Parts: sequence; structure tokens; C-alpha cells
Amino acid sequence: MFSSPPLRKQPGLALAFLLMASTAGAIEAADDSYLADLIRRANEAKLSDDRYWHLLLHYRQNLTGGYTSEQDDTGFFLASNGKTDPRAELEATLAQFFSAELVGRSRQPAQCAFVARYHWLSEKLGIDTGRLPAQRCERFERWVGEFDAQSVSLIFPSAFMNNPASMFGHTLLRIDQKGQTEQTRILAYTINYAADVPPDEGVLFAVRGIFGSYRGYFSTIPYYLKVQEYRDIENRDIWEYRLNFSDGQIRRMLMHAWELGNASFDYYFFKENCSYHLLSLLEVADPSLSLTDRFLFWTVPADTVRLITQQPGLVGEIAYRPSRSTQIRRKRATLSDEERRWMERITQDPSLIRSDEFRRLSPERQAFVMDLTSDYLRYRGVADEEHAASYKEKNRAILTGRSALRVKPDEMRIIPFASAPEQGHKTSRAGLGVGWRNDDTYEELAIRAGYHDLLDPEIGYTPDAQIELLSAKFRHYNRKDQTRLEQFTLANVLSLSPMDSLFKTPSWKVSAGTQTIRHNACTLCTNWNLNGGIGAATETKLLRREVYFAFAEADANYSQAYDERHRVGGGGTIGMLAELTDRWKLMASGSYLGYVLGERSDDVRWFVGQRYTLGQNLAVRLEYNHRDHDNDVLFTVQAFF
Amino acid sequence: MMRRLAVLSLALATVCLGAAGVSAKPTADTGPGCGLGKMAWSQYKKQKSIGPQALMGITNMLFPPSNQGFGITYETLGCTNDEKLWAEEKATMFAGINFENLSQDMAQGRGEHLASLATLLRVPAEEQAEFFAMTQEKYTSLIQSGEASPVALVKALHEAMAAHPVLAKVSTAR
Repeated sequence: MFSSPPLRKQPGLALAFLLMASTAGAIEAADDSYLADLIRRANEAKLSDDRYWHLLLHYRQNLTGGYTSEQDDTGFFLASNGKTDPRAELEATLAQFFSAELVGRSRQPAQCAFVARYHWLSEKLGIDTGRLPAQRCERFERWVGEFDAQSVSLIFPSAFMNNPASMFGHTLLRIDQKGQTEQTRILAYTINYAADVPPDEGVLFAVRGIFGSYRGYFSTIPYYLKVQEYRDIENRDIWEYRLNFSDGQIRRMLMHAWELGNASFDYYFFKENCSYHLLSLLEVADPSLSLTDRFLFWTVPADTVRLITQQPGLVGEIAYRPSRSTQIRRKRATLSDEERRWMERITQDPSLIRSDEFRRLSPERQAFVMDLTSDYLRYRGVADEEHAASYKEKNRAILTGRSALRVKPDEMRIIPFASAPEQGHKTSRAGLGVGWRNDDTYEELAIRAGYHDLLDPEIGYTPDAQIELLSAKFRHYNRKDQTRLEQFTLANVLSLSPMDSLFKTPSWKVSAGTQTIRHNACTLCTNWNLNGGIGAATETKLLRREVYFAFAEADANYSQAYDERHRVGGGGTIGMLAELTDRWKLMASGSYLGYVLGERSDDVRWFVGQRYTLGQNLAVRLEYNHRDHDNDVLFTVQAFF
Repeated sequence: MMRRLAVLSLALATVCLGAAGVSAKPTADTGPGCGLGKMAWSQYKKQKSIGPQALMGITNMLFPPSNQGFGITYETLGCTNDEKLWAEEKATMFAGINFENLSQDMAQGRGEHLASLATLLRVPAEEQAEFFAMTQEKYTSLIQSGEASPVALVKALHEAMAAHPVLAKVSTAR
């Protein structure tokens, strides 16, 4: 990369003399010649090949060696072929800097609309403001002034299964303002990248999202709105990572964010999504970071968090903002039996807080129980919208009583149920295994695009939640001397939500894929399967933590092994999941399925599996599977990457 | 729940749809004024606390409203030179969107939403404890004002401060 100190005055001065000698007072001509001079020097310095220029314009190298910008709004480019020609764009940009014409979607002079480009080129070329007058960019200055930035934090609202929209988590940036304390941090503005999805898109939504037909825009939503959305409504824990950027780096990042007000990108759910474009902003702040090119096919928010925390010295303090439901669960666990009964009673009938019995609790404990009940009533108001008005009314009654208690119970430190996401395993997985099936032995190679299953190391992931996407297992059977695609999973999603007296979220599962079965005359037959179920779960803490679950389910299969090639039916599954040590986890389940459509038959399945964690990204498993007429034992070593 | 299952197939395609949570597509800029404030004011007319309503809508529908004006360069931040008006507008919008959190904080006499509102009302850090105690004491009447409108709540807070022995000087110094 070429980088020299800005070329200084001499050429400019020489040119100025020449100009004065020729046509005095012809400003246009002077502009033209200074523009020509700037362009010549920019080309000599190969600025259009500079990484920073490519970052500012979001250029990506093509397979053929040329460049294309990921930016899809024509207003972002000043040359007609700017999307694919970095040099033409740079020359057109320099030319436009001489004009006060309003450009871009934000309708400002080019120096202001593309303020980061202007500052970078001005620094690289030592632009003489006597010959290229600087425009005043009041709108930009007011905007930056409102941020009053002190630092930048990466915000990660964690994944939450019971809202399909939040399954993989999200990332955004928060611009922390000077003078803010932890108590007033919610007033900071965020920089958020979001797709603009029109209402009522229906099924088209997924298709359009995958193929990038939505537009993504940057916006600056106050953090309190995001906290309300994630923590209070969706019940997602939020992790906040302070990034160690200098004032200059923050300023550069904000200048580029301002430019992106003119921008829109085609929003691809898998790759060019919220996380991807935030990474590009971080690269503009510090071009020595190389972040976006780490992601080839998809950008999972948790992976970007891990990537950022791995950059030496980039992340400072890490803060945790517990979701409302996490707060309720943790606080309730500290109640005495009596207090717990009171909480349930005043949830039903808030007027009991005025009873003498309740007042026998110390004022601090009364306040603690009331505060917890108030949180719970708000939780219920969101979860059970039909009765929201009634919960709100009860909450008012509790709070009115609470305001009469002039005590401040101690702040309680809330410990997360899922540890910090950066400590979790990476999202893709490969496994090598050996096993025995019926009367044959085999070797297995398994690969999974994402993301986490119930037996994977749970650190950093939402507990009891499984999302498997695009996984394939290849086996070579030794006696039969046959290599085949043993199993293919399109998606296998399962969410267990342990119920108790306060939380009553159902559990559910859905999966689609193929397996290899032995049935009737066929010994190794491909079976297409679709399964979905709804159920309930509960937990105990006998050893460390055990979760028990039961599902009622529907199951549909297509295979040439069946009479009429298919069978459809229903049944149930029961099972348990047990953490034996912090590395050792066990799962067992049994299912019965009866088929009434197609081939009339039934099926009993058993599964016992255990996992031992060797490292953050390494684990071993021993699994036993019984399905229909198959018995299968498999030992695998699994690595996450 | 069944609807959740039904939309699951869609959701699988959304690595971070959370991103689409609040749409950022700006409405057409209608000249001078505050995007942020504009949004706030226009929505108060419809609903007392549209923030949570809109967000709940998103949570349930998956699909965000596409009319929120927080887009960059659409004059959404620091859009007026009148600092006092802008500060007032920010406080009012905050009070409207966070009314439920504020009512909890006021009842408890503490909390980040209350501290943030105090900061927006320019109560200095050393007087904030007084401010918290005052809101706890006047909880019932403040909540009544807040139920009426966020403007009424901010007005009631100013009046309560003006009548307060310590906070009065803060209030009049504005």
C-alpha cells in the first residue's frame, strides 16, 4: 500500500504562478487546473487503490480482479460508473468537491454529504482551501455534536428462541456520550443497520430476505428504545463491549456513518446483514482491523462478537444488562418461602399489600417483594397481551403502595444464565467418528453449517435451545463397502422452556431432513422426514441442573422402503437433559410414533447420548440410537470452526 | 404458538432479523424540524406511549412499521438551534416512551430511567437524590399527569421542582 506524507505546496504554488500569468480572474480555469493537479497527484499516489478508499466506498474485489461496491444506492456514487470503478469515482469525487451542488439522498454539497471522503482526500493531498474552498457542513456538525461521543460500544442482544426473529441475536453500535454514567447510558444514541421490511410481507419475506431484495439502512435510534425492545419486551439479555477507539477513530467512524445516510445496501439475511455492515464501520475507524473478509457465506452476530473480542486490545470493559425475565428469576430465587407465597398472592390481589400480615415483613422485604411483583406484572402484560390492561392496573396499585415505602433495598447483582457469548464455541462444526450399526461397522464424517444443539457445550449459548441448520453426515459402511449420505438436516430447531409457577412458556420443536433407515426389505434406505411438536418442560437441580421434557408431535416420512412410499402419523417424546459436570452432559429420550396414513405401522425410538468438552471448540460424544429396526452406536470427535 | 411454528420457516432465514426490528427507512423529509421530535409528536396524537406499542407490534407480527424517522442525515439529531426547545423535546419523548419504566422508578425512588430523565431535565448529579425522593413522594399525582400525556408529566415535574426547596433553583436556572 502506498502512503506518503501529503504532497505539499510546491506544485500548487508553481501552478498558481502560471495561472496568474495567464488568465487573471478566471476562477473556472483556476478550478479546472487545480482539479487536474489534484487528480494527477491522487493518481500518482494511487489513492484509488488505497485500502481506505475501498473501505469508504465498500469496494470488494471480484473474482476477475476488478472491483464492485456492495453499496446499492446510486446516490452514493458521484461517477456514473462509480460502483465498479474506484478511480473514476475518486476523480468524480474530487471534481464534485469544487461544487456547492446538492448531491446524494441527503441533499448536501459533496464535501458535506461525503465528509469522510473529503477529510481523507484533503489529508492525503494536502488540499489548499484557498483554491478549493471548504464548505461549512452545519448539519453534519450539529449531528456529530449531538452524539458528543466519548467512546463506542458494541451491543449484542442475545439470541432468544421464543421469538423466531431473535434466534441468532443481533448487533448494533452505541455511541457513548461524554458525561454519561452507567445510570444514564440509555440516553446514548445507537448506530443500527436494519432491513426495511414492509408490513404484511407473508411468506415472500424469507425468499426476498435470502436473495437481498430488501433495502438495508443505517439509523440512529436512542439506546433506550433498543433496551426496551430487547430487554423489556423480548426478554433478551444484552451484552455491551466497550471498544478502545481513539477520538480520531471515533470521529472517522461517525463521518462515515454520516455518509451512509446516503447509502442503502441490499440486505441479505445471511451475510450482508446487521453484523456485517457494522464490521465495515469498525474497519473505517481502524483500517488495520480486518473483519468483514472473515465471513464468506454468512455472518452470525455471535461470531462477530467473538471475532471482535479476539482483536488484541480492541475491547475494554464488558457490561451485562439482564433481561427482565432473567431479573425476575434471579430475584425470585432469593425469596423465602413466605415471601414467595406473598408474591403469588399480591400478583392476584394487590390490595393485600395493605394487609397487616403483609406489613409484618420488614419494609425492605416488602419493597423487594413489591418491586419483583411489579416486574412480573409487566412481564405478564407483554406475554399475555389480551389481559394487558388488567396487569397494568394491578401494577399501578402495587407501585402506589410501593411509593409510600421510603426505603431502598440493596441493589442485587444479577448473574446471567448464559455466560458471555464470546466464550462460546464457534458456530460451524465438523466431526469424525467411528461406529457400529446393526451387523456392520462404519466411519463417519459430519459437517454442520450452524449453530448449536442441545448436547453442544452450553457456555455462551441460550440454555435449552437448539438450532441446527444445513448439516450432513457421510458414512462408509465397511462390510457392505458402501459410502453414502447418511443424514442430511435442513433445519432442526428445538426450544425447551422449563415451566414453573410464574413462567409458562410451552416448548416446541420442528425439523426437516433425511435419514438412512432399515425397513422392510431395504437395509440402507433414504427417508425424508418432517417432524413438529409442542410440549412442556420442567427443571430440577439435583446434581447440577436437569431438564425433563415431553412433546406431542406429528411426523411425516417419504421413502421407497415403505408400502405406498410414505407414512404419516403422530405420537410423543419424553426425555431428559442433565449437566453432570461443567464439561459432561447427558441426554436421553424415547419416542413412540404410530402411522395412520400411507403404510400403517409404528415406530419406537430411543436415544442416549453424552458429550464431554475438551476445549472451547473441541468435544467428544458417545451416542446410542435405536430407531425402528436400527441399532447404532457412534463415537465422534467434534471441532467447531 | 401455532403461528410461531408457522412463521418459523421464515425465521430460519433470518440470521439477524432483530435488525429489521425497527425499520430505519426515513419518511420524506418535510423541511426544517426534528425527525426525532416529529416522530414523537406525530405519534403522541395516536397513542399515549406508542414506543412500546409499536415494539410489541413488531414482536408479535415480525414485521416492523416502516414509518419511523431515525434515518441518518434526515435531520433526526440536533435538528434545531434552539437548545432549550430541543432539550424539552427530548425529555418529553423520553417520558412518553419510557413511561412504564419511569413509573416503576418513581415508585422506588431510584433507577436508570429516572436518573436519565433527571439528566434530560438538567438536574445536576448532586441534586438528583432530592429529585428521586420528590418523584417518590408525589408519585400519585405525577402518574396521573403521565397518564394524561408526556407533556403533562414533564410540566408537572417542572412545577414540582419549582415548588421544591432545593430543586427550585435548578428549575428557575433553566
